[in-house]
Amino acid sequence: MHNEHVEEHFNNRNVTELDSNYYMVDIADYPADGWGKFKRALKRSFRGELFVGLWVVLREMIKFDVHTVQYPAEKMPIGPRYRAVHEMKRLWESDTERCIGCGLCEKICISNCIRIDTRVDENSRKEVTEYSINLGRCIFCGYCAEVCPELAITHGGEYENASDQREHFIMYQDMLTPLDKMKAGTQLEFEGFGAITPHEDERVKKTPLAY
Amino acid sequence: MNKLINFKIDGISVEAQKGETILSVARKAGIYIPTMCYISKTSPCASCRMCVVEAEGVEGFVLSCNTPPTEGIEISTNTPALQNERTNIMKLYDVNHPLECGVCDKSGECDLQNKTLEFNVERQSFSARDQLRPTQNWGLINYEPSLCIMCEKCVHVCNEVIGDDAIEVKFGGYSSTIIPKNSETLDCTFCGECIAVCPVGALISSGFKYRANAWELSRVPSTCAHCSAGCPLEYETRHSSINGENEIYRVKNNFEFASLCGAGRFGFDFDNKAQGNESAFNRAIEAIKGAKAIRFSSMITNEEAHILQLLKEKLGIKLFNEDARVFGEFMKSYSSVSGKVHHSGSLDAIKQSDAVIIIGGRIATDNPGVRYALTTASKHNGAKIVYAHPMEDTLMQSVTTQMMKYEVGTEEGVLALLAHVILSEADLSDSERAFFDELDFGYLYAETNIGEEELSHMMNSFSRAKKRTLIIGNDLIAHERASNIAKLAALIEKYSDFSLVVVPREVNTLGVSLINTLEHDENIPDVVGYNAKGDFVISSLEGADLAVAALNQQEGTFVSIDNRVLPTNVALSFHGYTLNDIAKAFGIDKKNTIDYTQELNKKAGFKTVAFDDLENFLSPFGDDNRGYLLDEVACKADGELEELEDMPEFNGTIVYHCDPVLQFNNYTFKAEQLPRENFLLGSAQFGVAARISDGDNVEISFGATKIQRTFKLDSELKGTIALNPTFDISVDASRYRFEKSKIVRVV
Repeated sequence: MHNEHVEEHFNNRNVTELDSNYYMVDIADYPADGWGKFKRALKRSFRGELFVGLWVVLREMIKFDVHTVQYPAEKMPIGPRYRAVHEMKRLWESDTERCIGCGLCEKICISNCIRIDTRVDENSRKEVTEYSINLGRCIFCGYCAEVCPELAITHGGEYENASDQREHFIMYQDMLTPLDKMKAGTQLEFEGFGAITPHEDERVKKTPLAY
Repeated sequence: MNKLINFKIDGISVEAQKGETILSVARKAGIYIPTMCYISKTSPCASCRMCVVEAEGVEGFVLSCNTPPTEGIEISTNTPALQNERTNIMKLYDVNHPLECGVCDKSGECDLQNKTLEFNVERQSFSARDQLRPTQNWGLINYEPSLCIMCEKCVHVCNEVIGDDAIEVKFGGYSSTIIPKNSETLDCTFCGECIAVCPVGALISSGFKYRANAWELSRVPSTCAHCSAGCPLEYETRHSSINGENEIYRVKNNFEFASLCGAGRFGFDFDNKAQGNESAFNRAIEAIKGAKAIRFSSMITNEEAHILQLLKEKLGIKLFNEDARVFGEFMKSYSSVSGKVHHSGSLDAIKQSDAVIIIGGRIATDNPGVRYALTTASKHNGAKIVYAHPMEDTLMQSVTTQMMKYEVGTEEGVLALLAHVILSEADLSDSERAFFDELDFGYLYAETNIGEEELSHMMNSFSRAKKRTLIIGNDLIAHERASNIAKLAALIEKYSDFSLVVVPREVNTLGVSLINTLEHDENIPDVVGYNAKGDFVISSLEGADLAVAALNQQEGTFVSIDNRVLPTNVALSFHGYTLNDIAKAFGIDKKNTIDYTQELNKKAGFKTVAFDDLENFLSPFGDDNRGYLLDEVACKADGELEELEDMPEFNGTIVYHCDPVLQFNNYTFKAEQLPRENFLLGSAQFGVAARISDGDNVEISFGATKIQRTFKLDSELKGTIALNPTFDISVDASRYRFEKSKIVRVV
């Protein structure tokens, strides 16, 4: 099916052809002489165009059929692939942090705003001791989330940032899914690039166990 | 004459020399044969079987790594059957290999990862019951058996190149592991070469574990700054913590051909974190203006030495460096007989030797590079190695074929005896022959404690040797009779097929001795110290009046034991002043320190090569392309042998200045990971003689020096000579390394 070339019919967009769907806006010529300019000024001053606009506002106000999003009381829904402030996810099975400290996000970051530090912890495991994203530099390109092999760092929908210091913008603890949210099972899974596709379980093959 | 063997690999005609294997010929011809366990500097491990090839007329597969070709044979390296075999080997390697690549330190530079992808192993058809294999912590080295693929590279390197022979394979089929040999835990010199060769993450540096990943580190090719072997290494740097400056995370080396000791591998953090400030700089200028002399150490680059020489000429001050001075004088006496400036041998020459005499130095700790070359010679050529020294060294036991134990202080006599037997049939000049004829052998045998039969045994064992080397250790250079010893060594080199290696004490002793004209160090006031003691100290160590960059923070060159001028590079930045800035203040005006590289002393063999034109790499076949070799310089040979003096007697409690494994100087002392064991080590016999016992705090006095140490019994030592480490103190390098000392217990 997708090998066939399907002829698509677009509108005629050639502006020079008369039967195209384009039409010229009817704009009168600008006045050239002084009298003409005087007449235009009079017309603009006394035709009351201002009240046309004011009437529209008044009419819409009285109708109470408001389409404006009442920000900040109301917020627009954010798409799952929206790239706002990063989130650090936790593992479903153990609630521990997903980040393994591989440093790929740090490496790929084109605005060089991610820095991590790792060490071997008391349990002989790799522990991320420091993780920082300088949001003053971040361009929200999403490469870090894309490269992350563990789906640990993702972009969330949090786009409201205000502080008197840029450094306050992002703390690792703020990025990390809170434990109570984790316990309640309400951590949102990222659906963007690299996310697990539906029915992934069915595709997994078992390792043969002959013994 | 070597006959070449002609044969074909994949239809391409190739030639093999005698002793070459199919694999090495294929590599030279640019034909790819995959391997997992092959390492050029050891004998083939032959454990991976990846390098299998098909030979026409031979049934089954042939291991190319250990099979020499026969005339006219046709080899194919890449048939479907071979591909299938190799893929199956890779699958077997992947059985139960933990999928922890995300955190594994080897990830990104892992042979197993690379080859698994290369052979496109995307599903597994083999399985085995996994078993519990706990992590082993061996101090500086960490072993993770579950990651180990049993390629045995580590075992081969440890045994054949390093000589520690500290690990072995515990055979047991699928449950085979690497274990410390004859010991509960790893007991070795911690060179870390096993870490370097490990193709997977099984052997890892404990200090590096989980701190960074291969793809985060930037690599700076450089030269080790700890001893005169001048081993090639790469510093790997990355930022420290989240806002910090760069730091060195680890050191790697081209393990395929070169080796590195533990001090080089783990002692990399000797950079100077102090900063130079303007007022200190101005005080330094004032101090030099009023100075009568500059005292400096040999742990500097050739360019710095050159600047010091220019300062000396400009200001008419003296230069003190006892270590380089005694070395320079030794080499001058050598030249007066040999008629050339540089000794003929090199580490490569030692590696290829089949007969070696090493005299006057505890070489395993003085210069591990020489030790590794000796081990290679011993294991690969079956070299006969005569180790002549007043003390036995357990580290040298595995390679030494004959221990020649002489009395302390009698080195001149020993060398005369050696020269006599080696040159017994040589075409000597009349005066030289007369020197040997006049020797009082009875006296020499008695005083040196070396018997005639020992010498004849040595000559017998050397009789079939083709490449011989004489290695002169440090004891002889600072010897009272150094001049005559040097002449005797030159005589051996001149009239026999022995090549000669004189081991310089510090990293650039040789370079400094070629560049600077040095005066005898007098204890005068108004001395500016440059990385050394003085009334005003300019140094890269702590407590300096003006801080300057350490050797891993500056560009420049060293001259190694091979007479090779080696470049060193900036791994970490330094905030402050350099010697060049000081020189500028005195009107010696060049923009950068390395602008002096092409101006180094031509009379000593330096070439007119700019620093930026110096290469620093080993070729894929192991050819050394680092820096350049000093030109051979001829000089007048007008030296005459002097008559032997009466041998001195050393009785009572003698200390021998000798650093423990992994320690060399104040810089290794600074290194975080290296052990700092500055005990006075002695045998039980020494303890009795000095009336001290294990754990006592003692005061050792020799000459005008008094130092305090804790005495520690060492069961491996014998006799009444104790080992006194010097890495944490500086000793007068012009003094003989054995000292008659007074040892008092302090409470």
